[in-house]
Amino acid sequence: MAERDTPSEAKIVVSAFRHFFETADGPVQATDHVDLTIRAGEFVTLVGPSGCGKTTLLKALAGFIRPSEGNILYEGRPVRGPGRERGVVFQELAILPWRTVRRNIGHGLEIARVPRAERERTVARLIELTGLTGFEERYPHELSGGMRQRVAVARTWAANPDVILMDEPFAAVDAMTRLTLQEELVRLCAATAKTVFFITHSVDEAVFLGDRVLVMTRRPGRIKAVINVPGRAAGRDWESFKVDAAMQAIAEQVLRLVRQERGAAATPTAAALAAGTRA
Amino acid sequence: MSASAARSAQGLGDHRKGLAAGRLLRDLKILLPFAVLVAVWWAIYLSVDFSPQVLVSPLAVWHAFAHLVSHGVMAEYANTSLRMIGLAALLSLLVGVPMGFAVGINRYAAHALEGFLRFLQGISGIAWLPLAIIWFGFTHTTTLVIVIYTLIVPIVFNTMIGVRAIPEAYTLALRSLGASRLRLVKDVYLPGALPSIVVGLRLGMGYGWRALIAAEMLVRKGGLGDLIFGARTFGQIDRIITGMIVIGCLYVVVDRLIIQPIENLTIARWGVLRQ
Amino acid sequence: MSMAKTSNRSSARRALDQVAWRLLPLVPFALVLAAWIAYWTIMRPPPATLPAVPDVVAVLWELAAKGELATHVAASLWRLLLGVLLGATSGVILGFIVGLNRSVSEFISPLVVFFNAISGIVWLPLVIGWLGIGTALAVFLIWNTVFFIVFQNTVLGVQLVPQIYEQGVQALGGGRWETIRSVILPGALPYILTGLRSGLGFGWRALIAAELVGATTGLGQMIFGATEYHRSDIIIGGCLIIGVIAIAMDRWLLLPIEQRTIERWGLVFDARKEE
Repeated sequence: MAERDTPSEAKIVVSAFRHFFETADGPVQATDHVDLTIRAGEFVTLVGPSGCGKTTLLKALAGFIRPSEGNILYEGRPVRGPGRERGVVFQELAILPWRTVRRNIGHGLEIARVPRAERERTVARLIELTGLTGFEERYPHELSGGMRQRVAVARTWAANPDVILMDEPFAAVDAMTRLTLQEELVRLCAATAKTVFFITHSVDEAVFLGDRVLVMTRRPGRIKAVINVPGRAAGRDWESFKVDAAMQAIAEQVLRLVRQERGAAATPTAAALAAGTRA
Repeated sequence: MSASAARSAQGLGDHRKGLAAGRLLRDLKILLPFAVLVAVWWAIYLSVDFSPQVLVSPLAVWHAFAHLVSHGVMAEYANTSLRMIGLAALLSLLVGVPMGFAVGINRYAAHALEGFLRFLQGISGIAWLPLAIIWFGFTHTTTLVIVIYTLIVPIVFNTMIGVRAIPEAYTLALRSLGASRLRLVKDVYLPGALPSIVVGLRLGMGYGWRALIAAEMLVRKGGLGDLIFGARTFGQIDRIITGMIVIGCLYVVVDRLIIQPIENLTIARWGVLRQ
Repeated sequence: MSMAKTSNRSSARRALDQVAWRLLPLVPFALVLAAWIAYWTIMRPPPATLPAVPDVVAVLWELAAKGELATHVAASLWRLLLGVLLGATSGVILGFIVGLNRSVSEFISPLVVFFNAISGIVWLPLVIGWLGIGTALAVFLIWNTVFFIVFQNTVLGVQLVPQIYEQGVQALGGGRWETIRSVILPGALPYILTGLRSGLGFGWRALIAAELVGATTGLGQMIFGATEYHRSDIIIGGCLIIGVIAIAMDRWLLLPIEQRTIERWGLVFDARKEE
């Protein structure tokens, strides 16, 4: 069960969330009823097949879209738009190509008008934590995909949000780098104690990273299972993960749940998908 | 079965009607900002006491337009300009594209000519007008020469760039299949460079149309530039504005309805081959 | 041992190649010069038609010595500077305001296309009645040319900034102003610079055209005034100066700006830089 000694506060509460998109062919349902709670200090992962609506859910949590139905509460107050307290790491490149690594990471602190000395300290620390030492003055186009995502993670971390929402941040990175980035993320979380909501369609990634794994059905998605994964606080690496019988059993269980969702029915039309990614 | 087929056929008919109505609405929407502009123009004209030397009302412009059209004057002047630009475009393409190919194929020739062509482009056809006037007098030849000059430089330049941008792999592949020079041109160079050639044509037309009007203003042997410049001499503001509107509309028509579709066709078919 | 010899020879050859490569762009100029001299020596045309090369050099030198050349160049460049500054600032500012508001930009888009089509010299007959001849007229025509091009490109640039950059900054707590400052402004910069480059090219041409008919000083006036006296040496000299200035502006003004910003950020592929 939970490693926490005291019951943590609920950071984000989603109740009866449902979302529709307007397309040329009429409204398309992106998600079915979703209820979930994210507590302080948790690392919650959400795994589901492509197109199940997990990105839609994340965008709603981030405040980029207003839910068609239901409520999303952050610390008891409804989410009305994006904000500093809910940081986001995107899948595509969202760091600014015209800023150096250093200036990108420091951007959130700049916005919050953090004094320069403190800003530089925080940035330096994150550069070290994310393994970007030596690349501070480079521009994103000079970096590899993996490095860029490190910058994206560092940028969000530096701004010190309460909750960090991560939208398949490692999906576009090559397989080897992906494993490394996952381990680095685990270490980073251990060093900085954040609340994270991480969506992915990789079962291994979800189980490796999370305290709790939420499994989503296919479109229109809802949460169909919640699996607890003990032992994150103790730290993880892939070698031990692969030989740990308990971990593998959990992974298999999640995989089975996810595979049930793969099937021919209810595949969205191209237009609906496009509408979904645009909103 | 047949009932639903009939219903769906009717639905298709309604759908098509809806599409046509939508297109009409979209075309009308384009005219709306112009209507607003004319309204603002009229309002300004009515509220300030302009001398007829400075500004006239939209109505006066309309009358001038109707007058010029009914007397065939507009058609004549417009014809002169259009024929000139058309002829210049044709000749520029016929001469410029092969030249561009010949130069583009050779790396050294391309590098040698690049700076020279830029220089020529910087001088602009209009600057050569005085010299052309000395050589050919105030004649159509002068205008034609200047417009051809203005058009041909971007065409040659862009053809050259287009040819240079073709990946060597394409030509090597065909050569290893035993293709002759001519076949290479037909199957690789021409289609590969085509998008860039069209870009060059478009750019050239932009420069060329303006050079044409400027030349006509000086040479005064017909054409829309002559029309508006001549009207200036007589202080006929209504004619000037009419001429300006016609000039604008003609250019938009030529660019949007002739050149841009060609551009879209080539790029859509062959993908983006330019930088 | 023979390896050392061949490597020596090949490195010498490579150095020679590099020198040749650098000198290549001068070849067309040299060829034209040679043709000019040859034609002149053989055909002995009247000086009004084609002056001898030394005559052109001499007249340029004379004009420079008298300070006349400097006056004309200064007048032209001053007008250009004013017109471009006005056109660029108004184009960028309005382009931003409109670009950030999609319904407004859609509404005025047809207007912009139309006015771009008549930008520059076409306004001369109308505006000459308002502003007379001289600097004001030239500045207006340049402003007109530069404004619409820069405006269009700015609007395009603003609207094409990927939304995800904005979202990223919003998730960091950035508000509207921060988004504009740190995302949209730099994001639109490539397009703005393209517009500036185009605008400068068109503006320079519009300036020369304007000075041909509507000025008492300036390079355009210099070469047109020479037409009356059949001084083709002045005309050719003037054209060369015009071309040199055009190239210089592009090379030493715009290219460095482009390099320091866009290329540093990796946003543009310069196909030119293949050497």
